[in-house]
Amino acid sequence: MSKSLLRNVVGEYMLTLGNKNYKVVIVNADLAGTCRNKSFWEKFPDRAFNVGIAEQNMVSFAAGLAHEGFIVYAFSMAPFITMRACEQVRTDVAYGNRNVKLIGVYAGVSGGISGATHWGVEDVGIMAAIPNITVFEISDANQAKRLLDFSLDYDKPVYIRCGVEPVEDIYNENIEIKPGGSYTVVEGYDGAILCSGVVVQYAVAASEKIQLETGKSIRVVDMYSIKPIDKEAIRNAAQTGNVIVAQDHNIIGGLGSIVATVIAQAGIKTDLKILGIPDRFVPMAHAKYMYHKFSLDTEGLTTKMKSMLQKVTPQRSK
Amino acid sequence: MKTVKELDKAAMEIRVNLLRLCNREVIHIGGDLSITDVMTVLWLNQIHYDPQNIYDETRDRFILSKGHASAVTSFCQAALGCFSPEDVINEYATDQGRFSMHSCNLVNPYVEVSTGSLGHGMPVACGIAAGLRLKGNTSSRVYTVMGDGEQSEGSIWEAAMNAVHYKLGNLVAVVDCNGLEADGFIKDITGLNDIAEKYRCFGWNVIEIDGNNIAEIKNAFANLPQASSLQPTCIIAHTVKGKGVSFMENNVRWHTGKITEDELEKALSELYSAYERRWSA
Ligand SMILES: Cc1ncc(C[n+]2csc(CCOP(=O)(O)OP(=O)(O)O)c2C)c(N)n1
Repeated sequence: MSKSLLRNVVGEYMLTLGNKNYKVVIVNADLAGTCRNKSFWEKFPDRAFNVGIAEQNMVSFAAGLAHEGFIVYAFSMAPFITMRACEQVRTDVAYGNRNVKLIGVYAGVSGGISGATHWGVEDVGIMAAIPNITVFEISDANQAKRLLDFSLDYDKPVYIRCGVEPVEDIYNENIEIKPGGSYTVVEGYDGAILCSGVVVQYAVAASEKIQLETGKSIRVVDMYSIKPIDKEAIRNAAQTGNVIVAQDHNIIGGLGSIVATVIAQAGIKTDLKILGIPDRFVPMAHAKYMYHKFSLDTEGLTTKMKSMLQKVTPQRSK
Repeated sequence: MKTVKELDKAAMEIRVNLLRLCNREVIHIGGDLSITDVMTVLWLNQIHYDPQNIYDETRDRFILSKGHASAVTSFCQAALGCFSPEDVINEYATDQGRFSMHSCNLVNPYVEVSTGSLGHGMPVACGIAAGLRLKGNTSSRVYTVMGDGEQSEGSIWEAAMNAVHYKLGNLVAVVDCNGLEADGFIKDITGLNDIAEKYRCFGWNVIEIDGNNIAEIKNAFANLPQASSLQPTCIIAHTVKGKGVSFMENNVRWHTGKITEDELEKALSELYSAYERRWSA
């Protein structure tokens, strides 16, 4: 399998979007290079804005452009676009229901050795709590491209979180994307891993490993649309009785919290484990080290799922 | 008090360490090198800071607002004896190390305030300066170092207003004016110019220096108003990004980067021979 760098895929695909629609504009805050937007800048200098290191200004400015009918893609690192500019997102973009696509790179702890200031482990909780915003997380290159295509005709605020660690290619070019959608990458009935972003590749490998070692089949569902969420996929997964939700995000407020709410409201009895970044500040380290430490990698997911499967199962009401 | 020559040598050694590190890891080398001279004089000749007693109430506080200049800060603190330069090189960007792309107080107690997100250090420094005043501390200064690109953050100017309003003469803010930010030259991105004039308009005591000239830097620090004075000081340090290494100077390519063995060799020989030239005549 080959790997992709999603930040490059997204940043460079902006050129395609720019060619498709003359209303597409980009706004940067001194991170056009970091967000890989240079090809768009070269082709469409008039439709590319760089406001300097001023993320709040960037988001409000984007809302203004959208007010005048443009399809605006604003780029920065996940923590700066969702937290530094949080109220601008809420009031200028979401309240006004503007056609602004916010793209946050360095999602989760993928910024690794840059440390806590450059991690976005709170972004999903924050963005999902704002009305009108559709929240996506990408796990694969083709998925990223189809999502961007979709976003072009979707006249609403969108937040896309994107890590910077390499990810395995999973999907073919025709993968369909919709708000509230999910994708079952591996079918399985003894347990399910609901995940997004960088974790999907690890979950697929974990599922294969568990199948080999125990003969049990573990479903892997890529919950790429975090808000709205695919409730049916969650309810179905919960029927297996063994659910792990894993995301490169604070365990509070991320995919885990959202999935747990759906399961609780549906009144389904299942074992549930939420994996993610613990709710404390972690010193800088490489992303891989943290994925391992917090059981988000293949080994960690395998161990956690196997221990779930091994428990003495009490009578389950289905 | 150190002589200009001693400080110049110390700055050269810090640059050597930066480049050795840059040969092993990606660092923000351009913005480290531009501010090396100011940081060397600040840490080795100016700041009141005892590595043996880092919670001493009377210490000066240092806040790195341009938090990505963590490597030069660590090497300056190493030169002061907080740890060794080899510690910095060996632990930098490792999974359990004390040093990385931004300075982190969770693992390194010599970091007064963790930074890395631009536009925070200066307002925090204002709060610290006001807090010192409230505690009756009339001798400690608060030093903060910002980037010129960082001046685009609105929070900087909100703080610039407060500092004057609260008469924070114990605050010394340095702007590393190297003319570049991450995406290119500031003049091409925001067009922000004459930063000195802006601080003057806001009511600051403004000093403009060649920020790569040790004698000028030393002089500016030596003549700072008393910490008990009533006007904050802004030192506009005109510098060169990548200073001291010809292929890095004024080149946006070296905002961050890693160098090869050959590049390291070339860079070091340039540093040594420039130092020789300055002091041989
Ligand atoms: C809030 C925020 N936005 C963006 C960044 C990413 N970033 C790191 S350094 C940098 C450029 C800094 O330019 P400048 O302040 O001039 O520093 P220097 O050129 O001296 O390195 C940027 C945009 C950041 N660290 N914080």
